[in-house]
Amino acid sequence: MKQLRVVVTGIGVVTPIGTGCERFWTNLLAGRSGIGPVKSFDTSAYSVHRGAEVHDFEVENYLSNLDAAHLGRASQFAIAAARLALADANVEIASLDLERAGVSMGTTSGEPREVERFDDLFVSRKLGRVGPEFLALYPSHVIAAHIARELRFSGINIMIPTACAAGNYAIAHAFDVLRAGRADLMLAGGSDSFSRITYTGFAQLGAIAPEVCQPFDRHRKGMIPGEGAGVLVLEPFSSATRRGARIYAEISGYGLSCDAHHMTAAHPNGEGAMRAMQQALAQSSLSPQDVSYISAHGTGTSTNDRLETLAVKRLFGDAAYRIPMSSIKSMLGHTMGAASAIEAAACTLAVYHDRIPPTINLKEPDPECDLDYVAGCARAHTVRVAMNNAYAFGGNNASLILRKSYE
Amino acid sequence: MRNRVVITGAGVISSLGDSSSSLQFSLCSGRRAVKPVELFNTAGLGCPLGGEIPSFDAQKYLGRRNLRPLDRTSRLVASAAQLALNDSGWSESMRKEEAVGLVLGTMFSSVHTISEFDRRALEAGPAYASPMDFANTVINAAAGQTAIMHDLRGMNTTISTGITSGLQAIAYATEVIRSGRARAILAGGADEMCFESFYGFDRAGLLCRSEQYAGDFPIPFDKRRNGFALGEGAALLMLEDAHFARDRGAHPLAEITGHGCGYDCLQGEDEESAVNAIALSIRRALNDAFTGPHEIDCLSASANGSHAGDHHEARGVFAGLNGQTRKLPVTAIKSMLGETLGASGPLQVIALLETMRDGVLPGINGLDQVEDDLAFDMISCSNREIDLEAALINSAGFDGHCCSLVLAKV
Amino acid sequence: MSTDEIRVKIKKSIATITSLSPEEITDTASYRDDLQLDSLTILEIAVDAEYQFQVKIPDEVLSEIRTVDDTVRVVQQHLELAVA
Repeated sequence: MKQLRVVVTGIGVVTPIGTGCERFWTNLLAGRSGIGPVKSFDTSAYSVHRGAEVHDFEVENYLSNLDAAHLGRASQFAIAAARLALADANVEIASLDLERAGVSMGTTSGEPREVERFDDLFVSRKLGRVGPEFLALYPSHVIAAHIARELRFSGINIMIPTACAAGNYAIAHAFDVLRAGRADLMLAGGSDSFSRITYTGFAQLGAIAPEVCQPFDRHRKGMIPGEGAGVLVLEPFSSATRRGARIYAEISGYGLSCDAHHMTAAHPNGEGAMRAMQQALAQSSLSPQDVSYISAHGTGTSTNDRLETLAVKRLFGDAAYRIPMSSIKSMLGHTMGAASAIEAAACTLAVYHDRIPPTINLKEPDPECDLDYVAGCARAHTVRVAMNNAYAFGGNNASLILRKSYE
Repeated sequence: MRNRVVITGAGVISSLGDSSSSLQFSLCSGRRAVKPVELFNTAGLGCPLGGEIPSFDAQKYLGRRNLRPLDRTSRLVASAAQLALNDSGWSESMRKEEAVGLVLGTMFSSVHTISEFDRRALEAGPAYASPMDFANTVINAAAGQTAIMHDLRGMNTTISTGITSGLQAIAYATEVIRSGRARAILAGGADEMCFESFYGFDRAGLLCRSEQYAGDFPIPFDKRRNGFALGEGAALLMLEDAHFARDRGAHPLAEITGHGCGYDCLQGEDEESAVNAIALSIRRALNDAFTGPHEIDCLSASANGSHAGDHHEARGVFAGLNGQTRKLPVTAIKSMLGETLGASGPLQVIALLETMRDGVLPGINGLDQVEDDLAFDMISCSNREIDLEAALINSAGFDGHCCSLVLAKV
Repeated sequence: MSTDEIRVKIKKSIATITSLSPEEITDTASYRDDLQLDSLTILEIAVDAEYQFQVKIPDEVLSEIRTVDDTVRVVQQHLELAVA
């Protein structure tokens, strides 16, 4: 029996280098960096001070039904990205069977600012000021719930909080839901807001770079925490073509695995990462040499970049040296649960436009990182098949494959 | 052609027992776990009651391993996982050969750990925040810790859909096995009792108040109900591809024949929208199971004592089963366990596995004045003897999520 | 605070963090090679020592700490610096 094909017809993003698909893609190709001094809280007690925050974000532009005061920051980003994606896909909400329109989102922290507010009140002995809004704003499922409430979607509604790989997990689930015929349209992606909890934690692990994010560089000093959201509109190929939608790319498969090794460090021989990539290729009926471009997890930490390179080399063999692999975290920082969703958006655009974004700040490659990381400048490149890799705390690995829909 | 999914083992850590049989025994004895909370101070809160697990000691289940890196939620999950692996006969060496997966549903994971981490940084300065605790501030921490401890190298997913998280995790894992992506997955849910989430529910006015009435609360479907009580727990089921289970000589306890879900985007504020979402969830589950309403032998309701929630569920079940509810035996075990959030759905499944085995459906503890016009006749505080071939399990939350599962005898 | 007092507190903290028995936590056992502790655990021991004694140890010094003796020495140095 032929499997139903799932395609991407809309993209919405809120990122440190721009909101909206067009601005994001332009800035990505131009190698623009969204990293700067942290503004959302005081970092004077920290030894690092830089982050990738979203500035000039006006959520009111995207709300018709909900009130911004009742939405945490990650939910605001998510709703904006969802609305932008639907507009980009030229979807008329009124034409949808809302019971079959669903939302599948990923996150690392949910709405951490709400628990930060709780804690601020707790330590200053003013806990009595916490009201009913805490429960309505905080638990992570609210992100998908708020999108649905704003859009009146009453189909599948799910939150998959698998940390830094969450976006890929959420998109993979939406792919499965559509193929099983349980929805007609899915909004899928991820969202996370900047948070002092996250910043503190990564700072304590010594993982935050002092200045820039320079994946694969010999002198790389770590990651830079960021924030944002990415949402894709996914629908069956048949209904997309029937309504004359622009089809960006097709999702052909995914792979999920678990290292079961360590909470914060990847498996030293890249085994889990390899299994995820292998599964994604197998489901897509592709071989490693069919891949045209890899969007790396590429956080800029010493360990990740080295182990990721190792995993790619082990799986792809000689082909690894012919396949460009870039990390857009060099520009966006690490947007946590949104990262792999935003990276999936970049892969989708790469497939559609046959251009690949660069890895910036890569001046002197680490000798153990000797692949083609598209250093410095974006490149024209025929992208038949793009692979999007993401690795998370807890050893969650996820690989997603996007390909041209007409081949 | 989809693979059939069976349950070959269960692991439960609950306030009413750490085995399926002790849980069933407690439920059928009408034992109530909901009591004044001792884990933390509830002074100043409207509700002093909760179903906490007294003297939970993970070392009892996990042996001499170092447990410091795990917080309470992770310990609950890892302990339940150990029990489920023992119960289903998945030894360490078998797990080296076959990558067993884990899908965990949780509403909060550990908001307590997140909050403590942040508070220490606030009070002492960010340079003194605990790196080990930070690893547990991600919502998928418990699933990650459990995978490391038990060498679960298959897929590892965390699902967060409020109260329905655990049942959704079982539904998710069922689909994975049906599609042939995996042959064995531990699936279920957990949530711990902690001050931070308790406070949130209390401030939202959702928790029961017992001062006004004699008797114990919460009481699902009772006219006098005025809210639910929080509980905690972890419950995991070993789900396997039916052929694979048979070939390895495992004894299936039941089959998951169908699942469905619905979503009320108005989150309970409109009765028709809420009822409709529950009805849709049930219809989808029945269709998925190729089962008609008349074939369902009992309902394990999600009802937890919430005034609107229980009412919406009753109406939703009536609609979803095309009105065939008069002769349907109904239980609501949250009357005794309290609302265990992510663990609730899986605990309902485990209790029904026992009912399948011993033919006893627990009564609803405390139920005395059944709500008027309730669509169920076979509902009371007494146990009921039933011959259970197919059961409907419902999970529905104040947040709008609904999930339903059909469980069948093999 | 005497060196012995510091040592006792640090060993107690290590016991809590690792569940190792006091006999195993010797003064010269290497955290990584002898006690088989991973980097997250070693970091936790260091941060806990900073927290307990209210000192701040620079990253470059922290990364040199390999044993209980090292930890005691560094904490003592920083306590003296704080008083001075």
